[in-house]
Amino acid sequence: MNTIVRKQMSIHPDVMDLLNNQIAMEMKASASYLAMASWCDQRELLNSKALFYKQAEEEREHAMKIFEFINDNGGAAISPNVTNVNNDFESLISIYETALEQEISVTQSIFKIFKAARKADDYITEVFLQWFITEQAEEEDTFRSILDIFGLMEGMPLKMIDERIPTE
Amino acid sequence: MNTEIHTNTSYQIEHLTFCKYVLRTPSKTISLSFPQMLELRRKINELTSYSSLNRIIDNENFVLLFVADKQHLIFLEIPQLLQLKEEIALIFHTPDTILV
Ligand SMILES: [Fe+2]
Repeated sequence: MNTIVRKQMSIHPDVMDLLNNQIAMEMKASASYLAMASWCDQRELLNSKALFYKQAEEEREHAMKIFEFINDNGGAAISPNVTNVNNDFESLISIYETALEQEISVTQSIFKIFKAARKADDYITEVFLQWFITEQAEEEDTFRSILDIFGLMEGMPLKMIDERIPTE
Repeated sequence: MNTEIHTNTSYQIEHLTFCKYVLRTPSKTISLSFPQMLELRRKINELTSYSSLNRIIDNENFVLLFVADKQHLIFLEIPQLLQLKEEIALIFHTPDTILV
């Protein structure tokens, strides 16, 4: 990377734009988990509720990690708009299905930035994103395992399924 | 080619020193710090997206834009908006974008 702005910024400007989009995506994910937490909270699904409140906080931490990374590297982090948060769900299983889909699209998005960083010789971002890739693999695994529980306990009362959901 | 008209409506950005940039508009010269440049880049990129350009053309056909931490207000019609986008791209230009 050899540009006029190189002395100001150690990350690639186009990669920075993608990272800013990622901040928005993480904040949206956080808001979305909060909606899921509320749905579970109102229905006394205690383990699910705890899991989604925790997810909501984690997503915000992810956003903040990227936010600070951009500013620390001379860029401009943008506080995003979060709109169109869905608060309407039909069932607990559909919530977990949505959660898994959401995590998969976050993973894809991280891959896209990783690729762009590599293509732009932006190694600083590339290394930074490695943590996120590991994290995404764990997130996907969490929700996949929970969906397995639903499969194994098919036909059981919701409350019993909820009790099998790991809280840690 | 009428160069006089060209200079009259042109917008240019120059990199002066390590952290100082200057934006020359037909009516004034505005100095910009790097964070102010980044903010200008963000706004211009947003305004020149396909949907945003269409919206501008369908409505008033110009934009008023605050620059340099809202110290200045600049008036841009579509050609100037696009010109400014190119100027900014030049400042932020990286070699691999042309090589690839
Ligand atoms: Fe995340």
